[in-house]
Amino acid sequence: MSNKILVVDDDDALREMVGLVLNAAGYETVFAADGLTAVDVFKKEEPDLVLLDIMLPGQSGIEVCKQLRVLSGTPIVMLTAKGDTEDVVLGLEAGADDYVVKPHNGAELLARIKARLRPIPEDGGIIAVGELTMDPRSYEVKRAGVRISLTPLEFKLLHTLAVKPQQVFSREMLLEQVWGYQYKADTRLVNVHVQRLRSKVEEDPENPKIVTTVRGHGYRAGTDTP
Amino acid sequence: MISLLRRSLTARTVFATVTLSAIALATLGGFLSYSLANNFFQNRLSQVLSETERAVSSVQGTVAAASLADETALQTLINSVVPSLEVSGVSGARQVALLRSPGQPQLQLFQSPISQDLDLATIPSTLREEVRASDGVLTYTSVAIVRDGQTVPGITVGAPITLPLAGDFELYLVFDLGPEQQALSTVQNALAIGGLVLLAVISLVSYFVTRTIVKPVEQAASVAESLSQGQLDVRLAEKGTDVMAVLARSFNKMANSLQQQIQQLDSLSRMQRRFVSDVSHELRTPMTTIKLAGEVIFGNREKLEPSLSRSAELMQNQIQRFEELLADLLEISRYDAGAVTPDLELHDLNAVVGAAIASIEPLAKSKDTEIQIRLPTAAVEAEFDAKRIERLLRNLLSNAVEHGEGKPIVVEVGSNAQAVAVCVTDLGVGMTKQQLERIFDRFWRADPARQRSVGGTGLGLAISKEDAILHRGWLQVWSKPNRGSSFRLTLPIRSDAVIANSPLPLPPRTMEG
Repeated sequence: MSNKILVVDDDDALREMVGLVLNAAGYETVFAADGLTAVDVFKKEEPDLVLLDIMLPGQSGIEVCKQLRVLSGTPIVMLTAKGDTEDVVLGLEAGADDYVVKPHNGAELLARIKARLRPIPEDGGIIAVGELTMDPRSYEVKRAGVRISLTPLEFKLLHTLAVKPQQVFSREMLLEQVWGYQYKADTRLVNVHVQRLRSKVEEDPENPKIVTTVRGHGYRAGTDTP
Repeated sequence: MISLLRRSLTARTVFATVTLSAIALATLGGFLSYSLANNFFQNRLSQVLSETERAVSSVQGTVAAASLADETALQTLINSVVPSLEVSGVSGARQVALLRSPGQPQLQLFQSPISQDLDLATIPSTLREEVRASDGVLTYTSVAIVRDGQTVPGITVGAPITLPLAGDFELYLVFDLGPEQQALSTVQNALAIGGLVLLAVISLVSYFVTRTIVKPVEQAASVAESLSQGQLDVRLAEKGTDVMAVLARSFNKMANSLQQQIQQLDSLSRMQRRFVSDVSHELRTPMTTIKLAGEVIFGNREKLEPSLSRSAELMQNQIQRFEELLADLLEISRYDAGAVTPDLELHDLNAVVGAAIASIEPLAKSKDTEIQIRLPTAAVEAEFDAKRIERLLRNLLSNAVEHGEGKPIVVEVGSNAQAVAVCVTDLGVGMTKQQLERIFDRFWRADPARQRSVGGTGLGLAISKEDAILHRGWLQVWSKPNRGSSFRLTLPIRSDAVIANSPLPLPPRTMEG
């Protein structure tokens, strides 16, 4: 079964070209040309991943991103023409999982998509982090039996940390293991997503107990004294 | 006090005025009091001398007129004449002494008449000797008279006198200059008090005059200060038509044009930034499509006939070049708009140089060029944006490989207390002086006719220069035709520091001799 990808871009030529590249790589594609139709198409087609241009007519990609996040945790990869502006952070804070800077080549784009669609290896059963339980088979996280909804990326981030609770993960290690980057990438990805994850799983996000910061090194699951 | 003088223009002016006035007044007062004293003394002296002359002639006249039978008669006469000298004349108190000259037979009965309260110390022996040698001329000296416990100036005048029967005598009159001294003191006191009052008045006047001039200057200074701190809408008050008003008006005119220009530049820079951002989006989207399409065609070139396949290759290469050009163009536009902030962190320059060399190694191998590395053994740490500096070094290295004609390239790293430096030297074609002047110009190439194998956008060194400036560092070049070229990058160790000199020489030691 091939994955279905929603491509949202206002440039007809680029949209079609990206479609060709994705089709050639074996993905099914659906399209939207502006921010307003993007949400409708998303609801109707239920894609496995969204490629989302930031600068869109109608409503901006960031606004679309927020609305899609309300609907589901489907992976969202942003396409941005501006790699070093605030747009990236705004997009990530709105819930995008990753971003690709234009002009990009096909290999780069496919690598990002593949990394987001890769399932979590089923290497174990239910594990516990603090008061939480994680089930990798159903992608479920529960606190005292109450389900907490995480996106696949957030689940993978928490799972990566929780499997090795004694290990401190640097941002670079997380970029490699969670995002699938083989080379140096933007550490803002990690910072923003850790914040988003904490806002969901921590009882007090200001005083995290489940994903803790190890100053100068990175992050780890749980506190020193369990 | 000194700090106040250094700080306040008013205090300095008042202090200078008062000091100079005091010196002038003291000189004037001293001169006045000296000439007054002199004048008093000379007047009194001539009076004293004429009175003494009269006294001497009166004594001699009286003695000559009297028919003296014996010593007793002489004694009686003298006793009556001499005291009468004490009161005659106009010059007030005086004392008289008729002293017998030494070296004559002793007259038992004769006594020298002396005024009652005369202190014989007022007739110094030196004067007596002068009188005896004077041959009838009046001789005088200034003396100090002690009266009622106070010392007052006086004059003692003496003349020799010969008395029949008794021999040689000396007549002395001691005049008291007390009244003159007192008059002089009164005048001097008046002068001193007047001087002090004048000084006080001068200091007040100079204070107020200085204030009226300095106050507008101080206001101008404080307005200029706030202008320089970026408050562009402050202005001076323009009152009247004097020179201060002219200053205020031209100052305000200057501030207005400054404000206008800054606002203009500001809006230009904003427009430029928006333009860059727009171009960025507008060009990048079609570029992405072209790139993806080119890749697909290039990836399937085996399926094409040979001429189409070669076309696909050429297109792919040129798309690559076009993309680099676009990226460089956008980068330099960002510098022009001042929209670049370096990501400064502490890095080891050796490591960054190593990374740059590693990435250029394949190109160097293909041109059969050896890269010789001279790094210090210890880490060379400094605050810089590693990404930008690595890009800069890659650019210098690829230039060196391109122009080095296969001869070895030397990369040297050095450091001193304030700065770190890298020097990239090739032994290739080098450049002339005219070429050197344009080396950092955009799209400028040393030799347009030269066949380029490495490519490059023509913006590399311009961006490198901007990167060096961004780090408050230096990028300098030395070159000689057919000897080679040497590029030296110097960066401050702390990003807020200013570099005084570079740790490495330019031209490098290997180039000397």
